[in-house]
Amino acid sequence: MNQKTNNWNKFIANYGLLFAFIVAIIVFSFWSGHFLSWGNIQNILVQTTSLGVCAFGLTLIMMMGEIDLSYAGLTGLIGAVMLKMIMAGYSPIWVVLVCLAIGVVSGLCIAILVVGLGMSSFMVTLAAWFIYMGLERYIGHGVTHWIYKYDESILQIVQGHLGPLPIPIIVMLGLFLLCWLFQTRTRTGQYILALGENIEAVKEVGLKAKLIKGGTFVAAGLIFGLTGLIETLRIGGSMVYSGRFLLVYALGAVFLGSAAFKAGKYNFPGTLLGALFFYTIINGLTLNAVKFYYIPLVQGLFLILAVAITTVKRGEIEQVQF
Amino acid sequence: MGTAQNDNVDVVIKASLISKYFPGVVALDNVDFEVRRGESHALVGENGAGKSTLMKILYREYSEDTGRLYIDGKNAKDMDIRQIRELGLSLIHQDLNLVPIFTVAHNICMGVEPVNRLGFIDRKELKQKAAPFLQEISSDIDIDARVQDLSISQQQLVTVARALVAQPKFLILDEPTARLDQKSTEALFDFLDRCKQSGITIIYISHRLEEIYRICDRITVLRDGKKILTAAVEELTQAELVKHMVGRELKKQVPKEEASIGEVLLSVRDLHPMLKAEAISFDLRFGEILGIVGSIGAGKSEVARAIFGADRKRSGTIRLKGEKLRIRNPRGAINAGIALVPEERRQQGLVITESIRKNMTLAALKKKFCAGGFWIKQREEKEAVKKSIKDFKMATPSLEQEARLLSGGTQQKVVIGKWLLSESSIYIFDEPTKGIDVGGKHDIYKMIVDLATNGAGVIFISNELDEVLALCDRILVMFRGQLVKELVNKEVSKDELLYYVMGGKDNESKNK
Repeated sequence: MNQKTNNWNKFIANYGLLFAFIVAIIVFSFWSGHFLSWGNIQNILVQTTSLGVCAFGLTLIMMMGEIDLSYAGLTGLIGAVMLKMIMAGYSPIWVVLVCLAIGVVSGLCIAILVVGLGMSSFMVTLAAWFIYMGLERYIGHGVTHWIYKYDESILQIVQGHLGPLPIPIIVMLGLFLLCWLFQTRTRTGQYILALGENIEAVKEVGLKAKLIKGGTFVAAGLIFGLTGLIETLRIGGSMVYSGRFLLVYALGAVFLGSAAFKAGKYNFPGTLLGALFFYTIINGLTLNAVKFYYIPLVQGLFLILAVAITTVKRGEIEQVQF
Repeated sequence: MGTAQNDNVDVVIKASLISKYFPGVVALDNVDFEVRRGESHALVGENGAGKSTLMKILYREYSEDTGRLYIDGKNAKDMDIRQIRELGLSLIHQDLNLVPIFTVAHNICMGVEPVNRLGFIDRKELKQKAAPFLQEISSDIDIDARVQDLSISQQQLVTVARALVAQPKFLILDEPTARLDQKSTEALFDFLDRCKQSGITIIYISHRLEEIYRICDRITVLRDGKKILTAAVEELTQAELVKHMVGRELKKQVPKEEASIGEVLLSVRDLHPMLKAEAISFDLRFGEILGIVGSIGAGKSEVARAIFGADRKRSGTIRLKGEKLRIRNPRGAINAGIALVPEERRQQGLVITESIRKNMTLAALKKKFCAGGFWIKQREEKEAVKKSIKDFKMATPSLEQEARLLSGGTQQKVVIGKWLLSESSIYIFDEPTKGIDVGGKHDIYKMIVDLATNGAGVIFISNELDEVLALCDRILVMFRGQLVKELVNKEVSKDELLYYVMGGKDNESKNK
């Protein structure tokens, strides 16, 4: 009997969020016939790309027990740099490479400060966010520029299709698969998780914990660079502080994801679900002409509901196991 | 200088004039330490003597401030952990440095996981690779289980198996038996015997005399960061060894005193400490020290925590001085006058980043040191803590020292001192002397006996039969969550007690 309840609780804790997600989809699809159309599904997925990509980078960082907020400023900075380059007539390949390089350099600097000098990752990346905001204003003068006015060719990256799927979706799902396989299947990926669980266990067997940690910051920097690239192309221009909304949403997606599949642990399928969750709610409500100010309200309620299910059930599991 | 090395060709680990300084402390002071090939070398000393520091220097987790280190003829000064492991040196830590959510197999093969062509970890091969090492040390650990689901004792065995993966020629064990139950301890000793036969050099740190004499050939004694001596075990009696360790003569190992026992203080009825076991009931009287023994996993700690309300209590009735208590949480227990000194002192008993002063007055703050229930009476607080530090002979530079910087023994004294200041009527001690040196144990025993002499009721939970027999008036034996035997101390011998602890039955004991 107890074993049965325990298994049931475990099931709820792991799949409660997925269940809530499905309920939301069902409700929305009854509410609006258009919701489950292929066009709208593509719409949701494309909208999720920059958040999803960003949240994957953040998941890597949070998995090893650190935090990185730099993406919130990096997105805007990359947008400003991109527009400068496009206006100067650089080819799309150079633009993409420079954007990704900015991410890598950012990750490298953070790695040196946090891992090399032992500074707090929260403070360092908070500072990085401010610095990037300042640089963005310095480069872009706080003016919104639209890409189509200068060079439309680079926009094809987000507007093009590969088979039936728009390229952004493929980028997001591809990165998801890559991160997921890397983290769950490779040695380095497992060490990243081990770092967050017990760093001494990693050090004791002679592994270079600092190198792994630093490398993860750099990899996350690259992913954040990609985030800035996708976000700017998706908007179609550089808007002031364009990455700011990501700050809370990416953290939200990662936290929400930790309440799914592997209750209490950060994991990539959970993060993907968390990111999709946000945009599904936005989409479903917008589609039904719900006033914009209700959207965060409903998102907040869903967050509490999803976390409540898993937390309450998890508490019982622990009690049963003792 | 060079001649000393040539004289002893069989010396494989040679540390000379090693010094290590931590802020405010000289951890090691010009220590010479030599280990010969194939021997089992015990490293003993009180807590804070520098044993663990010296071993961490050998393993290159720390680097010495001065001194030279040769391992297997090679200068190890600039090596890192990986190179040391390649030399064949493995260290089994006192702390369980495992990844809780990984499987046993993965933890054992940590750092050397086999991978397939795609660079993915090959789970099947991982298991096959880990299995023989686990088999060396234990046959009843599930290799697919997650480490977090294992008992502490089993986890410690996993760390031993992990050390073997490096194919060590030299094996350092830092208090390996402190967390092991009786059965696992025997398994470890069998394993160490096999190691000796195959010529592996062993450095063994322990606080248990019988183990040292059972396993080791030579002994090095450290005291206050200095080497006192190295000698063969035959040349050193246990009493002499202890004398060298503490630097002062211990008159009696344990201060056993006759206590006057009064009325029933606490009566426990139908308590379900563990889910699958039967309910248990017992009484505790004024001035009595009641021992609870049993191997790890027998449910001793669970009893303590159930009474204290630290876990949601599993039914049962608890009466204090005849009055029924409803304890829902630790605060309720503290208010009712029950104090618990928990087993995992770093996790459960201490705020390790706070000062001794704040830690010690935490439990009694509201009752004794508050004016108007709000402002802390700082002067009185400081006086009380100063007195405790003196009474309990705590080794600390000041009462503002952070708890994490103290030695294990002193930490435990802080935890006990905290509850003594709260002036409770019932004290529950859960393995209070685990990992503590002889002198520290003596001080703690004395604190416990004093409590009982002053009329408090004491529940003393321990895995060490000797101290239970020396201290307790009555002994409850637990086995797999059940109360299997109640014994009056005067009428029981050690082997009888051990028989019950290991799960022996009454009718078989006398006949066979």
